[in-house]
Amino acid sequence: MKNMLLVVVFILAAGQLCHFGLPWWGLAPVSAVAGWLFPQSAGRSFLAGFIAGFLLWAVTALFLDVPNEGILSTRIGALFMGISRGNVLLATGLQGGLVAGLGCLSGRLGRVAFGKE
Amino acid sequence: MRFVRFFLALVLTVGLVWLLQTPQRIGSTTLPALGTFFNPFSGFWQNAEPVAVFSSKNIQIPGLLGQVEVVYDDLLVPHIFAENQEDALRAQGYVTARHRLWQMDIAARKASGRLSEVLGARTLNIDRVTRRRGMGFAAENAVRGWSKSTEGMRLLEAYCAGVNAYVAQLRPEDYPLEFKLLGYAPEPWSPLKTALLVEAMAETLCSGENDLGSTETLDLLGRDTFDYLYPEWNSKQQPIIPDTGQWRSVSTFSAPSTFSASSTSSAPSTSSAEDYILGSNNWAVAGSNTASGNPILCNDPHLNLTLPSIWFQIQMHTPEQNCYGVSLQGVPGIIIGFNEDMAWGVTNAGHDVADWYRIRWADADHTRYLLDGDTRAVELRVEEIKIKGEASLLDTVRYTVWGPVVYDHDPEHPLRDCALRWATHDEPAADEMRTFLFLNSGKTYDDYRRALKGYESPAQNFVFATRTGDIAITVQGKLPLRTHEQGRFLLDGSKQAGAWGGFIPPEHIPAMRNPARGFVFSANQHSTPPTYPYYYLSNDFDDYRGRHIFDRLSAMKNATADSMKTIQLDNFSQRAADALPVMLRLLDRDSLDAEGRKIVAELTAWDFRYEATATAAPLYEAWFDSCYLRTWDEMIILREQGRQVSLPERWRFIELLETDPENTFFDRQDTPQRETARDVAQDAFDRMLRYFRENPERRVTWGLFRGFAVKHLAQIDAFSRLDVVVGGHGSTPNAISRSNGPSWRMIVELGEQVRAQGVYPGGQSGNPGSRYYDNMVDAWAAGKYYELLFLDKPDAIPAGREVARQTLSPQ
Repeated sequence: MKNMLLVVVFILAAGQLCHFGLPWWGLAPVSAVAGWLFPQSAGRSFLAGFIAGFLLWAVTALFLDVPNEGILSTRIGALFMGISRGNVLLATGLQGGLVAGLGCLSGRLGRVAFGKE
Repeated sequence: MRFVRFFLALVLTVGLVWLLQTPQRIGSTTLPALGTFFNPFSGFWQNAEPVAVFSSKNIQIPGLLGQVEVVYDDLLVPHIFAENQEDALRAQGYVTARHRLWQMDIAARKASGRLSEVLGARTLNIDRVTRRRGMGFAAENAVRGWSKSTEGMRLLEAYCAGVNAYVAQLRPEDYPLEFKLLGYAPEPWSPLKTALLVEAMAETLCSGENDLGSTETLDLLGRDTFDYLYPEWNSKQQPIIPDTGQWRSVSTFSAPSTFSASSTSSAPSTSSAEDYILGSNNWAVAGSNTASGNPILCNDPHLNLTLPSIWFQIQMHTPEQNCYGVSLQGVPGIIIGFNEDMAWGVTNAGHDVADWYRIRWADADHTRYLLDGDTRAVELRVEEIKIKGEASLLDTVRYTVWGPVVYDHDPEHPLRDCALRWATHDEPAADEMRTFLFLNSGKTYDDYRRALKGYESPAQNFVFATRTGDIAITVQGKLPLRTHEQGRFLLDGSKQAGAWGGFIPPEHIPAMRNPARGFVFSANQHSTPPTYPYYYLSNDFDDYRGRHIFDRLSAMKNATADSMKTIQLDNFSQRAADALPVMLRLLDRDSLDAEGRKIVAELTAWDFRYEATATAAPLYEAWFDSCYLRTWDEMIILREQGRQVSLPERWRFIELLETDPENTFFDRQDTPQRETARDVAQDAFDRMLRYFRENPERRVTWGLFRGFAVKHLAQIDAFSRLDVVVGGHGSTPNAISRSNGPSWRMIVELGEQVRAQGVYPGGQSGNPGSRYYDNMVDAWAAGKYYELLFLDKPDAIPAGREVARQTLSPQ
């Protein structure tokens, strides 16, 4: 449980590098590092990465969406098959979650494969 | 096993990332790379602008001579305060790019045939025809002409550098939304791109012609019938400049020789019968006719209504000038506006300045052509059209003395052997670029005339008024000097004598100052009555708006800004008022059933106003269209056989309904008996009844029946306004059609303190993520105006109306 929390905290912190020039897919290697550093079961690794990635993307988006009063997310929703503002946030979070989850899992399994366990 | 598991996880991760940063095609739509687009660090979320604060940090711009202060008001109109004109224009470039960069980019791409570079092969044909029409050629010539004015070029380059200062500091996350959506990056701006946008405006406003249609129609009908059905002068019209004897000393121009129309063989039909109106209104009322004694100037250019809007409001203040108005993105200065001393506005003059010359080829490969008995080599211009994801297309265009042979890439095209002579291709006068800059800083009538001197294309009706009481209007542009009917039909390109005889000399350009009637006006109608000594033509001179505006202005003695609004928003159709009583007279009412009589009663009670709520307007519209199309069934049959036949103009049709109801054209081709206008009206009425009986959902108010949308430039519905219901019609002063209409309504009352109002159906920001993207649409639709904030210093902005302030300083 502690390691899950550490993974989440690590990814949320290191993910901020995306604000400073790290490309968005940098989330995958960042999560892999987290998965490597904080060993736990594969399932938990994925879940922790997913939660972290989801939060990172959805909350960052939310911080932009609220001051914007949803003007843009509503339009983007209309562009993508008419989904709601909430679902645009959800779709954002899911993508971040999947990338970080799989990244974290890869890191974890990488350590199992190459590291000293 | 653990290696396999790791490898699987790795493949899944890499695969997912790859998937999320690759654009996906689903059917015919291309989705942006989802991860790139959705991630909140560099994707679309970054374009979500806070509603409450408009961020505006102070910045440095290379090349500025002094400090520039930009104050944004609550409509996000930038008020630029600079120490000199060059800085003001550099700042204009910067703020315009900040709000409208993608619009500038896509407009320049469209005008230069570079859409396919970012959109792929689906726009290839558009690009190809754009280039073949010589848009790039024209823009290059424009830059060459403008370069001859060092001062003009210095100012244009300052504007471009301002745009580029904005582009240079953009990080990918800052790119305007559409760049992210379409997956490409902004480019630097250049004087050539400004020229391209000017040419694009010319393409919209002065590339119209009907040479092929008129030629075929004349061939098929013979001279007498042709003249009877297609007269050029509508005597009910009020020309812009009446004959006051000013042309008596001018002898009628005649060229060295006359030309015969050369006819074509069968051709695919390309022109449509659609009543498509692209026009504008402007007028100035002298102090003698206004309540305050101050002149009032009004302008509402009717253009394609899009988001972002074609216009961008701006104020530009320097020690020498203080000017407010609307600008075109990519073009320095203010196009329609006012300063403390004067106001001006434009409508399209609409003269035909594009003619087709039939080339006689001297060889099979079409490398040489005949000219006055000799042969000449064509000049080849190779256009490289880059296509996203595919190899470039190299397209060779033949240029003759007349201009490019546009359509010879299509062996079926009826104009495949014709060259386009278009005034816009010509190298312009050096001062053309500065026309609007001169107007921006002008003070007097003489300044106005001096500013217009260099203006060439697209020809415009420049209306003008000063604080000191002058009003004036000038039909300004490079207007070809033609012999009678020259350019109405296809011309023979094998004789130099077929060329235009130059251009109408400046002193004979139609113009008027301070007429006794106390107003000047234009609505894209004929510039002059037939007594004007020079021949000119158009296939879309206005026939109705101008008449009604003339009537309204003639009757107005104590005009105020509010009474001016009632004209700009006037939904009265002179065309319906001319046609409907005639149609009702032709109708045999005794033969109608109860429903028919009810509809007649509704039509009889209609006041000819295309209000959004009018229920009679759709009935009339459907009835009139049916009458019109069933009368010209002969032409429509020929069109279906691939002949390029024009339908007579609607004003002439209405005249014939009234004065010549027995005319043979009222006879229907598909019946044995002989019909007259009565039968056509009756039959069309029955059809109209049946249409509404069978489609009860169409029995709605005019606003819903016509439909209306302000569409995003890339036709993206999610970024468009599809929910706006408005009245108006192409034949009413408030000339709103489905996607066209008053793109800027402006009313300026001059005087000690200039007071101006304006509105356009859009918003200052081009960003769909901004509250200022479409915030003026509803006010526009409701016929409301905004008081325009005309400041004399930054701190003069009223409390609470300042949204942001930004200082631009030299680097």
